[in-house]
Amino acid sequence: MTALSSLQLDALRELANIGSGTAGTALSQLLGRSVDISVPNAVVLPLAEAVEAVGPAEQEVTGVAIPLAGDMDAVVLLVFPVDDGGTLCAMLGVEAGTADAISALGEIGNILAASYIGSLGAMTGLDLDLTPPQTATDMLAAIVASVLATRAAGTDTALILDSELRVEGEECSLSFLLLPEPGGVREILARMGVEA
Amino acid sequence: MTPVDEIAVRMGEIAVSSAPDEVLLSIGLGSCIGLALVDQRRGIAGLAHVMLPEAIGGGGGPAGKFADRAVPELVARTTALGTSRTALRAVLVGGAQMFTLGGGVGSALDIGVRNESAVRAALATERIPVVASATGGARGRTIRVFPGGAVLSKEAGGAEIELMPGVRA
Repeated sequence: MTALSSLQLDALRELANIGSGTAGTALSQLLGRSVDISVPNAVVLPLAEAVEAVGPAEQEVTGVAIPLAGDMDAVVLLVFPVDDGGTLCAMLGVEAGTADAISALGEIGNILAASYIGSLGAMTGLDLDLTPPQTATDMLAAIVASVLATRAAGTDTALILDSELRVEGEECSLSFLLLPEPGGVREILARMGVEA
Repeated sequence: MTPVDEIAVRMGEIAVSSAPDEVLLSIGLGSCIGLALVDQRRGIAGLAHVMLPEAIGGGGGPAGKFADRAVPELVARTTALGTSRTALRAVLVGGAQMFTLGGGVGSALDIGVRNESAVRAALATERIPVVASATGGARGRTIRVFPGGAVLSKEAGGAEIELMPGVRA
């Protein structure tokens, strides 16, 4: 991926903004609580710097990875700090640390990704489908790097669209990342009319 | 005990050291491989954080990214510090399968396993023996490499294992 212009990054940020807004609404409906949504980041980074842009390398997190199928090759990755994931499960009446909790986080990921990707598809006209979510609880670096590696063969940079959702009144937040493969980025930009 | 300088070796990077108060470190290796080359007698060590098995079409980028380019580069960087190839011993950490992100990309299915075999093949070409490894499985690992010779591996939430005993800072 070559450098993106600031206009292109703005366009991607706007997409992420709308996508995470929709996802935040879905989370809010699921929990019956207000959800704050951060202004998303859209950054292009050398691979070596990609992990620290997401969070502390050693932090223990649950990652929910959802590869997309259809017109764009990308992976949606939701990152829940372990304690926050537990809080989220408790709000849904699921005991933290159990197999049910892991599958609940996978399902939350699925719902949020479906909302985010649905609005992205509506805006760009891209036909996008979700494949089943996969979860892992581990060091943040191991999770982010392993996902990036699956799309890194032809590029030395990573485009990260990062939004943070926070449940109001709780120590509970999660990061929502869209990690497109370089061809996928070009496809989005072309559909939005901001080609290089 | 002297304070230790940690040198972080991130995705695709390579670092070498002969300073006894330094430690080379890759945090959270998932499908990536942390490849340590160590000359215990001379106190020289290097670490590469390998992401993928091979550079397709001579891809550019950081030398440590692909196993087939990382191994010769790491050998060159360590020997430049005064060791010889025959004195080097290898330790491998990582190569786990955190997710199975197949989704139509069959080649992406098990990058961890492919990374490990590519690193081992490149080491065999260089005639450098692998003396210890902590690879495979589904857990992330952190590797610490001391130029004095010790190589440590730690799984997420697990205890630190001494893969290669030696001097620590």
